[in-house]
Amino acid sequence: MAHHHVTSADIAINGDHLDTTRSAKVKTIALAIAAAGTVLSLYLLFFAPEKIRGSYAYSWVFAFYFFLTLSIGGCFWTLLHNVSNSGWGTSVRRTFENLGSTYPWMFLFGIPLLCPQVQQYLYEWMNTHRAADGNVKEYLHHHDHLLYAKHWFLNLPFWYARVIFWGVGLSAVIIFLRKLSTDQDKDPNPGTKRLFRARFHSTYTLIIFALTITFTGFDFLKGLDYKWFSTMWGVYLFAGSALNSMAVIILVVAWLKSQGHLKHVAGAEHFHIMGKLLFAFTVFWAYIAFSQYFLIWYAGITEETSYFLIRNTGNWNTAMIALVFGHFVIPFVILLQAWLKRNSKWLSIMAVYTLAMHVLDHYLIAIPERGVSLGKIKPEVFGGIQVSIPGAFWGDILALVTIGAAFLFLLLRAIGQHSLYPNRDPRILESANLSN
Amino acid sequence: MSTTRKRVYGYLAEFKSASALYKAAEKIRDSGFRKWDCYSPYPIHGLDGAMGMKRSILPWFVFFGGMTGCATAFALAYSTQVVIYPTIVQAKPANIFTIPAFFPVMFELTILFSGFTVLFGLLALIQLPRLNHPLFASKQFHRATDDGFFIAIEARDPKFSPNQTKDLLAQIGGENIELVEEED
Repeated sequence: MAHHHVTSADIAINGDHLDTTRSAKVKTIALAIAAAGTVLSLYLLFFAPEKIRGSYAYSWVFAFYFFLTLSIGGCFWTLLHNVSNSGWGTSVRRTFENLGSTYPWMFLFGIPLLCPQVQQYLYEWMNTHRAADGNVKEYLHHHDHLLYAKHWFLNLPFWYARVIFWGVGLSAVIIFLRKLSTDQDKDPNPGTKRLFRARFHSTYTLIIFALTITFTGFDFLKGLDYKWFSTMWGVYLFAGSALNSMAVIILVVAWLKSQGHLKHVAGAEHFHIMGKLLFAFTVFWAYIAFSQYFLIWYAGITEETSYFLIRNTGNWNTAMIALVFGHFVIPFVILLQAWLKRNSKWLSIMAVYTLAMHVLDHYLIAIPERGVSLGKIKPEVFGGIQVSIPGAFWGDILALVTIGAAFLFLLLRAIGQHSLYPNRDPRILESANLSN
Repeated sequence: MSTTRKRVYGYLAEFKSASALYKAAEKIRDSGFRKWDCYSPYPIHGLDGAMGMKRSILPWFVFFGGMTGCATAFALAYSTQVVIYPTIVQAKPANIFTIPAFFPVMFELTILFSGFTVLFGLLALIQLPRLNHPLFASKQFHRATDDGFFIAIEARDPKFSPNQTKDLLAQIGGENIELVEEED
């Protein structure tokens, strides 16, 4: 297993750049799909018959948040790598940053959710607030005591302020950190200054990340049922986010390797570590998902159990049980094996599988609420409370493909912008000669 | 005149640095020796590969140890909670669907049994604890816990030969080569 010891002679002095003509075709197709899908989606969200508008609002929340978790995860791995003073991942850190850099753009897909026309089908608490004339708090005091008690957090001005902060805050963080990193690539005297700066600024900005993953989950997803609460919600979304952004990172690195990039700097050792992280977060996700279920199951409080009652009704129950085995048991047993984590091909297959399970996870977070909420909001249009709305499934696929194509385009665009690894980082040789 | 019989344990050679030890290990591996080992004050990344060591069987022990723990916990919880003394707590069922309540115990015993299998399996595989080691007869060997990097090739290795093995160690950079003998 004697491997070549990587020296500075092996590091491309001007960086390892992606031949953008190779990805141009995929990028163009992805952009075209995203553009056409967005136009169609805007029609479905704002101008289509009400039955479709209501159903599609849920499709949009599902797809928007699904891809947002991947982008947020990219920010997380960048921040974690900096703040933990890590040396192992310098070779792949640019991929973390590229994934994170899609965040500002991906957040823009949340704009429809800022419009009352869409919100009326999703967030019932907003409808109650908007129905109030004059003093909202006074109105709630007489009409809905729960919303009155939650008014300090669930009120429209604060909601909008928060959402804007989630969009701007983490965007600023990742743009700054990525710029700090890419500026180094061309600096004739790179030094260690940027390394220390990145480490310092990643400490407190990690708090912005934590607030963003937690409270975007509150504002966009938990708000779908304002009565429901779970103390595990933020960390549950974080577990899925960290896990699946690592899956995306593995896929990107494996693809770059297959194209002949990252030749001396990333290899089986890096895949092994990323595979371990994939495994660790598979376990972490299961631990958190079970803890959430367990606490709610044991306590048996009406406001809490509603979440699982909806998802354990009808065919949703089958999907929930499939999630237990598909998202945890199967990948847990497979990823136990060390050789598999070192093999980029097998690890990529597992990464794709993990992402597929993440789709199921987020589908089960957002969509079962649809039949219940819409039936409550406008039974005359949507036809009473029901398990699921027939035909709405196609909208879910459309939203996922639209935002997914945009995500792919943005990711490829980011990958093509700079060197594929930080070629003048003081730790690049440490990372290239990684052994674990 | 002393009549103590001595038995040859093997050759001990010192190397200058961790990287010299690493390179020497690769050469000894390639010469086909089986009964030999490296000694260093700290773990050296990738040395197992340089020594041509196979993957340990320990993970398999741990896997089955963990499975046993999981099954034990389930059997314990199920038999007491469902079979012997079914208890209705907070309207929860007393049948197989009580299983969420069993999970913490199943989880903990999986960890406990895995931990025990790691500890005792490892001790068995590396044959510890033991009272003495033949290499302790060497005067210089204590430096393996301080600043010395050593390789010892045992005499019971089929490829061992008194002269050639010594030459080989000298050739690959070994210093202070010593024939270690243990008292019988």
